[in-house]
Amino acid sequence: MCFKNLPIEFDAQGNASLKPGVANPYSYTETPAPTPIEDDPERMRELFARNGAVRRVDFDPVTRVAGALAFHTVVDLENRQVMETASMATLFRGYEIILKGRDPRDAIFISSRACGVCGGVHATASALACEMAFGVKPPPMGVVARNLLLSTEYLYDHPIHLSLLAGPDFSEAAVRETNPEIWERARNTKTQGAAAHGYELMSDLMTDLTPLTGKLYLEGLYYTRLAREAYVLIGGKYPHPQTVVPGGVSTTIDASDLNEIMLRVVKYFDYGRKTAAIWDDLAEFFYEVNPKYRDIGTRPANMIEPGQWDDPYAYDATYENCDAWGRERWAPPGVIVDGKLVTTSLQMLNAGVEEFVEHAFYDEWTGNGDEYYRHKTDPAGNPLSPWHPWNKETIPKPQATSWKDKYSWSTAPRWDRMAMETGAYSRIWAAAQTGPDAFRDSPYIHSTGNSIQINLPKAELPNTPIEWKIPETWGAFERNRARAYCILYTAAIAYDNLQIAYNLLRKGGPDARMSTPYEMPKDHRIGVGLWGAGRGYLTHHLEMDKGVIENYQILTPSTWMASPKDPFGNPGPYEEAVLATPLLENYEKPEDFKGIDVLRAIRSFDPCMPCTTHMHMDGGRTVSREIVSCACGGDVETHDHH
Amino acid sequence: MSKLKLQTVPHGGGVFGAGVEGLGGLGGSPDGPLNIVHVFWIAGMSCDGCTIAASGATNPSVEDLLLGRIPNLPKVVLHHPVLSPGAGTEFIAPFRRAADGTLGAPYVVVLEGSVPDDQGFPSEYGYFSAMGAGGFDPGSDTDQPNRVTDWLWRLAPGAAAYVAIGTCATWGGVPAAAGNITGSMSLTDFLGKDYRSALGVPVVNVPGCSPVGDNFTETVAAVLLFLANLAPVPKFDELGRPAWLFEETVHRHCPKAGYYEEGVFAEEPGDNQCLVEIGCWGPVVQCNIVERGAINNMGGCMVAGGACIGCTMPGFPDKFSPFYKAPPGSALSGGVSKVTGGAIRRLRRISMKTGNTEPMWDNAGENPSGWSEGGGGAGPVGRANAYFYKKLQYHGSVNQVKRNKKQPLPQSRNILSQQGNRQTGVGLHGERVEHREEI
Repeated sequence: MCFKNLPIEFDAQGNASLKPGVANPYSYTETPAPTPIEDDPERMRELFARNGAVRRVDFDPVTRVAGALAFHTVVDLENRQVMETASMATLFRGYEIILKGRDPRDAIFISSRACGVCGGVHATASALACEMAFGVKPPPMGVVARNLLLSTEYLYDHPIHLSLLAGPDFSEAAVRETNPEIWERARNTKTQGAAAHGYELMSDLMTDLTPLTGKLYLEGLYYTRLAREAYVLIGGKYPHPQTVVPGGVSTTIDASDLNEIMLRVVKYFDYGRKTAAIWDDLAEFFYEVNPKYRDIGTRPANMIEPGQWDDPYAYDATYENCDAWGRERWAPPGVIVDGKLVTTSLQMLNAGVEEFVEHAFYDEWTGNGDEYYRHKTDPAGNPLSPWHPWNKETIPKPQATSWKDKYSWSTAPRWDRMAMETGAYSRIWAAAQTGPDAFRDSPYIHSTGNSIQINLPKAELPNTPIEWKIPETWGAFERNRARAYCILYTAAIAYDNLQIAYNLLRKGGPDARMSTPYEMPKDHRIGVGLWGAGRGYLTHHLEMDKGVIENYQILTPSTWMASPKDPFGNPGPYEEAVLATPLLENYEKPEDFKGIDVLRAIRSFDPCMPCTTHMHMDGGRTVSREIVSCACGGDVETHDHH
Repeated sequence: MSKLKLQTVPHGGGVFGAGVEGLGGLGGSPDGPLNIVHVFWIAGMSCDGCTIAASGATNPSVEDLLLGRIPNLPKVVLHHPVLSPGAGTEFIAPFRRAADGTLGAPYVVVLEGSVPDDQGFPSEYGYFSAMGAGGFDPGSDTDQPNRVTDWLWRLAPGAAAYVAIGTCATWGGVPAAAGNITGSMSLTDFLGKDYRSALGVPVVNVPGCSPVGDNFTETVAAVLLFLANLAPVPKFDELGRPAWLFEETVHRHCPKAGYYEEGVFAEEPGDNQCLVEIGCWGPVVQCNIVERGAINNMGGCMVAGGACIGCTMPGFPDKFSPFYKAPPGSALSGGVSKVTGGAIRRLRRISMKTGNTEPMWDNAGENPSGWSEGGGGAGPVGRANAYFYKKLQYHGSVNQVKRNKKQPLPQSRNILSQQGNRQTGVGLHGERVEHREEI
């Protein structure tokens, strides 16, 4: 069914099992990475003969992304091609080892600190993992409160990407510097969306994208704050909320809180309409100037999306039922391969995940799949790989950077052994392909099978229905455009949930409670929190015993996308997308090259590095600092709670 | 024997043009002892949450500082990995000039995130946190990433001030918690007791995980206003915290502190009362979030129902965990409060009921509000209580209750119920209605 590369087959009822008769079904033969250009003397002599047309351009750091990302390229400035790429996560903090041996509930607060851009969703994913392990189901109001938290979080998150991080690359200052001819053309080009955004000329729109002085930049900053004001009414603070607990939230919500949130959420109706129109205009304008702009950051539409925003009555926190409650989400889960939805099962999504470390600063731990590993199957009986997060046992090994060998603190996650991207666009793509029959009932969001229609009440602008269609080509402009549409999509979900919250408040009774009391189990349990962040896929895998954490794994969107090369010879998504990027920048001689197209490609993924480079550690095995610094692995007893 | 290397480009990442370094530097005062200041924001073992918190500040906002909207403050030029327009070589160039003393303008360094213990690594063992590559010496031909720790000590002597933002940079925070293998520490631990900035100031610490954004921007403004000879010298406590922000416990200003006083406690998450018994450390934690709010005066941990886990404190997280357990001290103080507070609460309810009654209602013996379930005035117990209470209250002054008793009831009181009064009015839908009888 959904797997092409993993050794999993399905019976007539759709139950997954390992293909029989294979000794080490998950083992593989490593395909070595290509020799870096600078390590190949013959090639270097050949390139030198070309008189400086081939240059090494390292973006270290890549700014206007969250966290520490460096990006290495070799570019052929004569043929306007990228020849070599390497994506480097340059930070390592060791969060999972810090989590080991602690009360699982503490993981909610500690793991939130993995990321200060989307900490709220880490806290939530952690609470979900705890709920699954403890066997506690929040009351409907607890789920709705969480939905409101995460929708207001994304209403802050989308503008920060569009206005503060990616937007400036399309501003007057950047376009005049890197493609003055496009700026001249913008001065004579009328926009299509003036009715929504108010700009008659493309150039006026671009001027207002300029950092600090541009009205759209400052407006974006304002909207990042307004949504956070709504968030902190339930969450207490942001980015690290104080009220997320297993079984619900610890907030006391009254009508006044809901009113305050409502009055802020509705302001995103017009802001969402306006932002969608702006990014429509930007994409169409650049495509018209040069159709090759469609290829900036292009790669196959392979995406992974765990979904988010649970149905308050369907969600029961069990792994056994996660396919059912997952499909009831306002953003349903899905894995997309070559643009097609291949599964909407959360269990298959989870079972297909592996993380590899051949090019990351960690040691391999499985003996290539032939050693004993803990979880041969998930709790529902689906086969798991030794490289699955529940089995992960990675050993950090700081060392010199080498493009051929190890060059990043990010691992290489793969689904069915393919590099996947994830983000607001995978969310809206999966929702669009879920189709009218399977997509949950919502008065404001309609899934057609190849588009998402959003129909929100009129505010100052008319209530013209907005439709995001699955694009024909996939690249940086489409990522940004989909992100822009997600403001409205998210506002619709917040609005929907606010009305459910009002009704629950009116009704009172057990459904309107904020949390469910529970007993902490003392036996061995596992759980997983599956809940995408604003910028895509997030999972927390938890294993606990005797009331403490044995193993904790965080897999984040930017780990998927900042990934280095995998053992099958495939680059990570940033690397792949930049390799395919044509260099359309206007430069006369190599010395003038700035790299705007490369940066636009990378930023369209909205890299968020802080939580990309947590570290993984399994129970029973760790490394002391002395061992790390002399770069040899070893077994050290760490069960200090025993 | 050095291997062949490809040429690079001089302005890689400078998509806003060569020379556009940093963000801001607009407006600002041309006069004064300080007319321009560069701010180098460095992230160590960081989650970027302090950056996000600062971006949420409203008084002043980051753009207030960068656009020069505050009179008499210098131009502020920010070099920030999340916000700067330029990338790569172009972004790093001013850091290099500051480190080698050729920036030509005063600079402040802000560190977000803790400091890893990677200075002892031989270069072939890499780094835990890196920014920029290629070493520091002009002649260096290494390709290896530069450690953040190298930047931190190189920038220290020349910095006008060194500010640690957030609990990781101020006290080590979560990356320095038990079990960490990176040896993380605070900036103060890294630079040591003798560190003084070029202006003679030890590290300034603005803690919180994440901090209140306004605590950071206001501290920056306070220092700049002082340097502009407008505000008094800002006061810092013995740990380098802005004293005016962190000298009080968060409990003293907590909206739920009154519950504590009256001895009522939340039993489970979602209850509205004092959160001490579900793990709140507020009574011993120095923080101002319930007073200032998390963002634009909204929210705050206990305001929303979140128990304080001590995230502004040097002991965070280990000295405040497990986070879901009541602090042991609360058994004593909370127990005492349940006894004394319980009695006080009951007496207060009686006084509150008296305060909720107009003197006229006492005289008329009824409460005319349609929302009220009827009755009127205080009951016999209430009246007895009020008698003694008022005696004490008005002792040595004029007894206004007594005076009120002599007030006649107004003639038109309760007019719609009085017989014989008829008058036409206009109803909700514009129709004429008769609704009043003759007096």
